[in-house]
Amino acid sequence: MSFGWNFVARNLPLFAEGAIVTIQLSVLAILAALVWGLVIVLARLSRWRLLALTATGYIELVRNTPVLVQMYFIYFGLAFAGLPLSGFASALLALTLQNGGYIAEIYRAGIESISRNQIDAARGLGMRKLLVLRLVVLPQAFFRIVPAIGNQFVVMIKDTSLASTLSVAELMQAARILTDRTAATYEVFVTLAAFYLVMTAFVTLLLRLCERRIAALR
Amino acid sequence: MPSVLIANLWLLLGGAATTVELSVASATLAALIGFALAVLQVFGGALLRGIAEVYVYFVRGVPLLVLLFAMYYMLPYSGIDLPPTLGGILVIALYFAAFMSEVFRGAILAVPRAQWDAGRGLGMRSRVLLSLVILPQALRLAAPPFVNTCVMLIKSTSLVSVIGLLELTLSGRQIVERTLAAFQIFGGVALIYFVLCYCLSLYARHLEKRLAYAH
Repeated sequence: MSFGWNFVARNLPLFAEGAIVTIQLSVLAILAALVWGLVIVLARLSRWRLLALTATGYIELVRNTPVLVQMYFIYFGLAFAGLPLSGFASALLALTLQNGGYIAEIYRAGIESISRNQIDAARGLGMRKLLVLRLVVLPQAFFRIVPAIGNQFVVMIKDTSLASTLSVAELMQAARILTDRTAATYEVFVTLAAFYLVMTAFVTLLLRLCERRIAALR
Repeated sequence: MPSVLIANLWLLLGGAATTVELSVASATLAALIGFALAVLQVFGGALLRGIAEVYVYFVRGVPLLVLLFAMYYMLPYSGIDLPPTLGGILVIALYFAAFMSEVFRGAILAVPRAQWDAGRGLGMRSRVLLSLVILPQALRLAAPPFVNTCVMLIKSTSLVSVIGLLELTLSGRQIVERTLAAFQIFGGVALIYFVLCYCLSLYARHLEKRLAYAH
């Protein structure tokens, strides 16, 4: 049995179409999760105890349940409740909600890694609290969290494959349809894995470049 | 409303039992393979190290669902007849072995250099040094991230529902198809996962604290 390069070449447009949806879903979800994570971490670090407790509960809940079950909960739950959401929107929502929890924790670790002395020093220089946050804490925290955010993004790209269970026409789904139609499983799965590897390797490479830039800045 | 959930609780708990079995089996296997990979990466020659690194790189860049489907579709074509449960356990174990190997590798490298030198200075051979000095300390360091990886693994067992293994998530789906009570049932499913994973997460945090105290 030889590897069908022709088959792969002929069906490359199908994979590419799926890959575009995967990229759309990943980019939208990471952007939304970055914003949602900020909301969660602000609530988590708030002085209002009830709010902080709710945020903690939320973070633990989304981090300790499978994203697949969260997708089903949103997709089937809303559909049977008479508010049908598309598969793409459900997957986007589930990925945002879960990764928002993870990213909130990454933000928190970044903020808490800034030494208390620096904050005291800035306060001692007469800076207001918001100014300390803007000029001292956030710039340093930002550089420290870049690698963790990048890793989370890679995990999330892989998780978008679960959207295929909601019939979203992304990369995984394209491969499943092609396998059902042609039974060329070997070719399909090698190509599929290669597509995911290229996407995740690209993000990892970007991350490396960012880290080097940051190291040079310091 | 929650009566639907109560009526189907036994079915869900049965699924949960399967999820626990799958998790324990694949976590044990993943730990063994991961440990072997880590030892290869740290102590193996250039070739073995290269193979282990390529393996870890590949697994970290490809979704688990892709590998599960590959197993599900490709094995029958290759003439290998594997029961789906065993296949699922194998794929999950091989996948998480890569993550476990990173955990163990990090832990072995985190044992201070001075421990090696001291052991050598006392005249220990490499094997004795490893088994008496390095690995006991490394395994203690590896414990918290190991438990966290197990949490990831438990959550990932939900994916085998897609290839038709009747565990917690698929039990939930089947009940929803019959009752249409998606919020209650999937809420219940999520709650069971939460109980399993949160206990382990808390345990990992406890281990971390104990480690921080010891050092």
